[in-house]
Amino acid sequence: MDPLTLDTLRTLAQSLGLALSDEELDGLLPLVRTGRAMMAALPSEALRDIEPACQYRLF
Amino acid sequence: MSDLVWTSLTDLARAIAARDVSPVEVVQAHLDRIAALDGKLKAYLTVMADAALERAKAAEAAVMSGEPLGRLHGVPVGFKDLYCTKGVKTTGGSHILADWVPDEDATVVSRLAGAGAIALGKLNMHEFAFGPEGLNPHYGTPWNPWDPNTHRICGGSSSGSGAAVAAGLCPGALGSDTGGSVRIPSALCGISGIKPTYGRVSRAGVLPLAWSLDHVGPMCRTAADCALMLGAMAGYDPRDPTTSVLPVPDYTAALTGQVKGLRVGVLRSFFLESTGVALRHAVEEAVKGLEGLGATIQDVNLETANFAPAASYAVLSSEAYAYHEAWLRERPADYGDDVRQRLRVGAFISAAEYLKGQQARALIRREVDGALAKADVLVCATTPIVATAVGQGEVTVEHEKLAVRASLIRFTRPFNLTGHPAASIPCGFTAAGLPVGLQIIGRPFDEATVLRVADAYQRATDWHTRRPPVDQPRPVAPEGRPA
Repeated sequence: MDPLTLDTLRTLAQSLGLALSDEELDGLLPLVRTGRAMMAALPSEALRDIEPACQYRLF
Repeated sequence: MSDLVWTSLTDLARAIAARDVSPVEVVQAHLDRIAALDGKLKAYLTVMADAALERAKAAEAAVMSGEPLGRLHGVPVGFKDLYCTKGVKTTGGSHILADWVPDEDATVVSRLAGAGAIALGKLNMHEFAFGPEGLNPHYGTPWNPWDPNTHRICGGSSSGSGAAVAAGLCPGALGSDTGGSVRIPSALCGISGIKPTYGRVSRAGVLPLAWSLDHVGPMCRTAADCALMLGAMAGYDPRDPTTSVLPVPDYTAALTGQVKGLRVGVLRSFFLESTGVALRHAVEEAVKGLEGLGATIQDVNLETANFAPAASYAVLSSEAYAYHEAWLRERPADYGDDVRQRLRVGAFISAAEYLKGQQARALIRREVDGALAKADVLVCATTPIVATAVGQGEVTVEHEKLAVRASLIRFTRPFNLTGHPAASIPCGFTAAGLPVGLQIIGRPFDEATVLRVADAYQRATDWHTRRPPVDQPRPVAPEGRPA
């Protein structure tokens, strides 16, 4: 996966209707990059047949 | 009773019922202590002095007239300031809700009042519960009572609850726990706290951080006090559709002091490897202590714990953003910088990523369930580090630089994702006099066993009886000025 750039993040923010300054986007960029890297590192094969844990009530 | 502010919640309830002490004396002693110490500690955001004294007088009258008494009759407690309290400001530690006054109580507030508890006030916290340090830029960050000289974090987000209980400003408090917010301040402040199973205690009337991860839990100085408080507030609530219909056991009766034959799984890889020497030693000694009490010890690995940061990023960030989206658009400047920035991250998470996080969550839950099929409880350090100075972003552990925020939640958040009950109790101190927490994890809805292990350990040790140096006068320099 290509690393997220400031320009891409700005475009994403605009598409969500968020008017963020360059300074704000600069602060967000490493956090979103880290999050995406963690998601990308999850083992896709192991997760493929796992039902998402969306059932709240255990009993 | 000689020292009311250091008397346990259990003993206070017993003494009040026996007419050995008046609820008015108990409440007044705590109010006096808050007045003396809270200017520095900043544990309370609102002190309900008049209302508390009024209720204490009514409680005293009930005792004297022989009325049936609740199990917490006349005992003062504090509430993290995200519990709705009818007619009393509930800020969530935020500027956004600085003047918000709810028109009804959270279910747990009502239940504790129904059991006779008296609300002393509302407790400081990390803004909107979104931070494990317990910082607060709007009202001031609570001061960890264990270091009178350096302003150290209490851990969060229930930082005021941790400071207040540790310093004797209330015998018990409510915290809430989305990634460790009951257990982290319990560990860093040297007290006991439990995050019950998801669904065991109602979240109705509690400001959410992330609906599927939020847990309500008590913080006290002993496991026995946590048992008493939990018993008074647990159980099905029609106002919270996620609460379980399972009956609530008598947690206090479960405290037999016996752990003989109990199987204790020690989480070593992941949970002990990145922990400092002093903490690891304290936890290993606690394990030996449990073994000495008759428990059988086995090593357990949780490989999927490594997935917890990703799952938490996807799930917690998305849910928190969904709750805050409108305020973030309309009033961004009213948030503290750190919370605003981390909340905004949730805007960039896709639905597919959210569900992938939920898949990872299911995998972790499956592995924890498997481990608890072979062991009755699991144990590990609550946090890999002790209380750091306010503003310190990194800490060095065994020559490795670690981010304070990520380290604090490393061992606790897996069990928010899985929903298992998990407690933290004190199990030692560093050479600098800072407390270390032992985390005890149990099977779903088996808080009784978690509390039994915690209580048995506390019967055999004295870590939980130590008091922070908040009452000691400041040292005086030779020339007569305060040092």
